[in-house]
Amino acid sequence: MALVDSTNYQDPLDLLRRFIPTPLRTRFRVGDSNVTVETNDFTLLPALPLNTAPADVHPADIEWKLVRDLDAPGLLEEPLLLSSGNLTVVGMGTACLLGLDHERRELLCFIGSDVDGRTFQEFLVPYFCRLTSQVPFVGAPELFPGSSSQSADA
Amino acid sequence: MGDTVTVTFAFNRKTLRLRTDFTIAGSHCLLSTNSYNLLRHATPWQASEKQDDAPSFEMEILENASLDSLTGKLPHFRGARHLVFAMLEPRSFLGFDLLRRRVIGVLSSAAVHDRSFWNAQLLPITIGLIGTTLGVAPLHCACLDRNGDGILLAGVSGAGKSTLSAALAQRGFALVSDDWTYLSFRQSVLSAHGLAAPIKLLPHSVRYFPELSKHAPKKTMNGEIAYEVDASKLFRSPVKTSSRPKWLLFLERSAIPGCRFAPCRGEFVTQFFESNAERLPDELSAAKSARSQIIASLAACQSWSLRTGDDPHQTAEAIERFLAEV
Repeated sequence: MALVDSTNYQDPLDLLRRFIPTPLRTRFRVGDSNVTVETNDFTLLPALPLNTAPADVHPADIEWKLVRDLDAPGLLEEPLLLSSGNLTVVGMGTACLLGLDHERRELLCFIGSDVDGRTFQEFLVPYFCRLTSQVPFVGAPELFPGSSSQSADA
Repeated sequence: MGDTVTVTFAFNRKTLRLRTDFTIAGSHCLLSTNSYNLLRHATPWQASEKQDDAPSFEMEILENASLDSLTGKLPHFRGARHLVFAMLEPRSFLGFDLLRRRVIGVLSSAAVHDRSFWNAQLLPITIGLIGTTLGVAPLHCACLDRNGDGILLAGVSGAGKSTLSAALAQRGFALVSDDWTYLSFRQSVLSAHGLAAPIKLLPHSVRYFPELSKHAPKKTMNGEIAYEVDASKLFRSPVKTSSRPKWLLFLERSAIPGCRFAPCRGEFVTQFFESNAERLPDELSAAKSARSQIIASLAACQSWSLRTGDDPHQTAEAIERFLAEV
């Protein structure tokens, strides 16, 4: 359940919702990677093995910032993945907008209000994990194993 | 979503075979694309002389016919740290990397074939989002020009900036912008830029501009119903893409007939534009400082509040008389 968002988007102006607080923070293991997740919604904490080692022993390899967007209704649509150099962006309609900065090792994502916990755990978390596995490599991600993909290079 | 197909667009020299550059709000952009239509749309923005300086920012835009399905949704924007996402209609998706000053996007063929999409959506959105990282501050005000001197009209939404801009344009002022003006401060020169976008007038404006009755109001990008007209054609007024701001007027509606001008202090100007500017994240602290410098230089202009209870034409006449005296 999303924490109540008391942010006033008009003063100061924050039309892009950059400043939705994401106070929940924990660390997980994704394969060999240490992932720090910060979010504003308990249901957006991935069902992944927790990383219980002290942060200074295993610092985060990548950070996921997952924002529950209460102003974005609708279900996930067919993903459009754009990839250029260090940047990958994915749009699944307004229900999921995602950017992955390979160099800064940040995955930043807005998840709409109608995306339920099951869809998040069974579709989005594996999707994020596959994207995360691409991070050490600069350039266009290859097609993801395990998902049916269609290249639409123009 | 188990068998979902991911449509993947890779941006590289193979997929983006066409290149051109152009200038917007004084900033040099390198455009890479696969679309001849986008090259054509960029042509009016190209500098008359070859540009040897490095591009200020880059756009990589793919046209893809498979996206041609209208969803009828309003544009949707979100941002986190230095990244911004935009979903536009006709179906198009863009990502902005404000730290690296790059835009990547895929546009439907319907969007690519529509010059107004380029002029009234893609360019204003791009410079509006990435401008602050280029030393260009997008400010919510109109700009007109008389003999090289710029007059900025600011005020809260609904104050009547656009109708007053139209009335001033009819009196021979050159229209630079009626809604968003892009200010830069380079080599100690403050400049105001516009994008030659159509002027947006709410339906009631037909009361003051009967020539609008030949047009039909339509749903605009933000969902409002309004006339969107080319001021140069409708009012036969000159249009400029830039000016040097000299005067600044803060417009306020009043129930009392007449126009009253009162000087404004620089602190008020600074406070007004700072408080109306988009909040920027820590990752863009340099952009925030540059924007504050632009606003500070704007505060040095001669500024007045203008309380008017008159119609736009009478107010425009009063402004013309007032400026002739200061």
